[in-house]
Amino acid sequence: MQNTARHPANSIRRLIKRDWREWLVFLAFAGPNVALFAIFTYTPLINNLLLSFSDWNMISADKNFVGLQNYVDIINDSQMGKVLLNTVLFTSSSVLLVLLLGLGGGLLLNQKLRGRNAARSILFTPNILSGAAIAIVWIYIFDPRFGLIYTVLKPLGIDSPKWLTDPNWALPAIVIVYVWKYLGYATVIYIAGLQAIPGDLYEAARVDGASAWMRFRHVTLPGLSPVMFFLILTSILSSFQSFDIINVMTKGGPVNATNTLIYRLYELGFINFAIGRAGVIGMVLFVMMFAVTLLQLRYLDRQVSYA
Amino acid sequence: MSARTQTETLPTPRRAASRSMRAEETLSKALGYSAIVFTVLIIGIPVFWLITGALKTNREIFSPNPQWLPSQVMFDNFTKAWEGAPFGRYYINSFITTILGAACEITMGITTAYALVFVRFPKRDWVFVLLLVALMVPEEVVIVPNYLTIANWHLVNTYAGIVLPGASIAFGTFLLRQYFRSLPPELIDAARVDGAGHMRTMLSIIVPIAAPAVATAGLLSVVAKWNDYLWPLIVTSTADMRTLPIGISWLLDQEGNTEWGVVMAATLFVVVPVVLVFLYAQRFLVSGIAAGAVKG
Amino acid sequence: MNKKVTRRDLLKGIGFGVGAIALAACAPAATTAPTAVQPTNAPAAAQPTTAPAAATGTTTVTYWGFSGALGKTEDDLVAKYHAKQTAVKIDRQVQGSYEETAQKLTAALAAKTAPDMVLLSDVWWFKFYRAKALLPMNDLAATAKIDSADFVESLWKEGVRQGNQYWIPFARSTPLFYYNADMFKAAGLPDRGPKTWTEFSEWAPKLVKMDGSTMKVAAFAGLAAASYSAWVFQCVNWAFGGSYSSPDLKITLLDPGTIDASQFYTDLVNKKQLASTPKDVQKDFTTGLTATALLSTGGLTGILKDAQFNVGTAFVPEEKAVGVCTGGSGLTILTGTAADKATAAANYIAYATGNEGGEFWSQNSGYMPVRKSTVSSATYQKFFADHPQAKTAVDQLPRTRPQDAARVFIPGGDQILGKGLDRIVVGKEDIKAVWTDIAAQLEKEAEPVRKDLATLGG
Repeated sequence: MQNTARHPANSIRRLIKRDWREWLVFLAFAGPNVALFAIFTYTPLINNLLLSFSDWNMISADKNFVGLQNYVDIINDSQMGKVLLNTVLFTSSSVLLVLLLGLGGGLLLNQKLRGRNAARSILFTPNILSGAAIAIVWIYIFDPRFGLIYTVLKPLGIDSPKWLTDPNWALPAIVIVYVWKYLGYATVIYIAGLQAIPGDLYEAARVDGASAWMRFRHVTLPGLSPVMFFLILTSILSSFQSFDIINVMTKGGPVNATNTLIYRLYELGFINFAIGRAGVIGMVLFVMMFAVTLLQLRYLDRQVSYA
Repeated sequence: MSARTQTETLPTPRRAASRSMRAEETLSKALGYSAIVFTVLIIGIPVFWLITGALKTNREIFSPNPQWLPSQVMFDNFTKAWEGAPFGRYYINSFITTILGAACEITMGITTAYALVFVRFPKRDWVFVLLLVALMVPEEVVIVPNYLTIANWHLVNTYAGIVLPGASIAFGTFLLRQYFRSLPPELIDAARVDGAGHMRTMLSIIVPIAAPAVATAGLLSVVAKWNDYLWPLIVTSTADMRTLPIGISWLLDQEGNTEWGVVMAATLFVVVPVVLVFLYAQRFLVSGIAAGAVKG
Repeated sequence: MNKKVTRRDLLKGIGFGVGAIALAACAPAATTAPTAVQPTNAPAAAQPTTAPAAATGTTTVTYWGFSGALGKTEDDLVAKYHAKQTAVKIDRQVQGSYEETAQKLTAALAAKTAPDMVLLSDVWWFKFYRAKALLPMNDLAATAKIDSADFVESLWKEGVRQGNQYWIPFARSTPLFYYNADMFKAAGLPDRGPKTWTEFSEWAPKLVKMDGSTMKVAAFAGLAAASYSAWVFQCVNWAFGGSYSSPDLKITLLDPGTIDASQFYTDLVNKKQLASTPKDVQKDFTTGLTATALLSTGGLTGILKDAQFNVGTAFVPEEKAVGVCTGGSGLTILTGTAADKATAAANYIAYATGNEGGEFWSQNSGYMPVRKSTVSSATYQKFFADHPQAKTAVDQLPRTRPQDAARVFIPGGDQILGKGLDRIVVGKEDIKAVWTDIAAQLEKEAEPVRKDLATLGG
């Protein structure tokens, strides 16, 4: 790849030649990645858009264009309001908790403390656990009659909520499990970000007599901002698509209390095999995520201080 | 939150601290340790429950009077799990597909992020947005079309079939781009003035400085590949091509007669290698301090 | 099958040829990629790819079956079959749960990588029948000497469409009434199940144990919040004279019977506080948190193993009528299967559901014997003597009837109905309002089913 970049056509003028070489380097460096996405991600996405105008059921030879019928059906779907609300509630609360607690964890475990390697590993382990194992452990913890939470609350005279079978508690329960699982992920990324902040900046700040808070506010936060921007955006995008915890723990229930867009997409696409309507949900989800991303690129990325 | 006190010791100052700073550090350490204990308890208890669960019978796991430790330590669950599915073969497959997949990802992640930050290209930011778009397409949307593509390429039930659709990388590219952008630009300019090509600048200057970010991105790639369930399940059809996470689901029973202790034991089979990788990768997470110090 | 061509054309039309070329040049793992963009036009012979070249005289049948402990038992069954003959080799593969198997089969049919024979559950097989993916098996069954008259009628009948068999009963189960015999004794109740739901309502207060306002032990658990609740509730519904739908797919949720059954159940939970709605009903039963439960016969082995008390089994209670539905899964052969492989697959089915294979399978898996002669065999009578709880399950078989079309023929019908039960029992919503809404949803999903059935002729 490097060779093609170094031997461009001779006939091009020097300035343009330099640009050409740069462009070729760019294509060689970024091209394969984008090409793979083109085949395995963008094409299916466009395919999904096309299918959202069809009545296909995935195996029938019968595939008809039905115009906006699927979109009308989704708008009229009595569950959609609840599903959208759940999605927004789940995403906002889980992202906020993961980001804040993860920042605490990152700052804490970036210190030179004995046992921090072990602590980091424990924090990170939930991230590696399979959905089935998580489900069985947490269904036990949430059990309102003998679970761990019940055992902790009982001496305090508090009744344990019926977490997974009470429509008011099921979504908080799912958020708790999600935060438990992804906290270590955020922590690890914060730690990487903290490593990018040059130590001399802190020393200079100390010499200037800056308080701990001032140092956090004026050295740590700006230094972390590139990584934080990454974390905010990717956490939002992945929590929009968080499927496995809901699938193994509640299947969207009870009474749709944990039914989110991604789970509804699965229900319609893989259980009902209503590919057209699942396609509509896919597009709704995509547009929501795209809008959130653009907003962040426009407003948040400006706040980021790059070196 | 104790965040404000934590920051003081962040990257360790090289020079000796004054007495007041030492007092500050002691306080911060005390707070640090109590916070560590608290975090480890909250996060660790479910993990502890999982590990002890691997030593218990169904009756003990679902007892209304739960015991912290199993009544008798028995390793039957591990034996049963190992015999319940060809885990030896699954380990080999998981190693192969994880190494291949993570290697593809990390290579392309570094080159793409480097290109996005340091190589001139018209509308470079649009390419970045295009990569972000890849983060917005749920797996459920791509899985069936990709199966058809892989089947057309006659790669069903092959390692290439497992690895290819996930070989491209957006998360890691994004992370590395953010990190690269925060590096001092003089560094690259100096290298370019020295006449170093992009390849050399990337490999001998950028990657070493960005070691913590590269290690983090690599770790996350490894975890993602190692845990991938749905795609390997769909694209493979015979037991000799399956990976570890599928092995766990093989132990689940259609009629609710699952032996959870066995499932938890199998879960440990899957988790332990990654925890080891994580412990190993930690040295790279801190090595960045030394590398970062060079630039001053 | 032109479906594949359509999809390829679609991919081609969207056209990322440039991407594929760049990929071939740069991505290390993509050396095999270039073939991707060449649209192969011939709908090549639909041969399963995985089977190794067979030795002469041996026909290999690729089969997608059970996972878990049931998968092990099935492996043993296949091994027994191989020991008995060498003409047919079953290459048993596992694709996960019923759901995952069906989802993968859908993708595999489009990509022409489907196997020869698949195990499909009650709620999935019909979808593939509608898509004409299943082979009618009357002739094959006759050649392989599968004696349809010897099958339990309700089970056999379920897979017959237009007079032809598409789904042969194999791993079949029914709901069964389980009770904690120790609790019954302590409450002064007889050691038998209640004859009717009314009788159960009279017994239930004696079984409930309260601790202040919290229920420590429920008299009954389930029918909402858990998976398969719409399957089990079907029995209660029938007992009260209701149904989800008529056989010709008319939704009957607003008939008085269904309303009565729903009212009975939500009262049991909410008004009378006698029943609970836990996530995992089987776990609640084996840990003594409920005195009784309606659970699958397939769970019997696990329940006996995990429970630390005497487990009683009884017929599902009646009310106005007997209400016991069938469940579980059956074997299907796919239309893309070559004639010799289809014959070989039918021979295996004859063995697996026959006396020798069927006995082994049902006694080791916990599923129902599907043939009448199996039940009356000497070995089975001995088995019953050792496993009295299993006898109840088998004795109940003649009382069963095939499930309501709304649950098994409408894609996602089971989930939609289950959500309705959730809303009534857990969400305490108005019964008529919920079923009106659910009926509308079912009608919507039933549209394509009706359309297909019209072209298939039933």
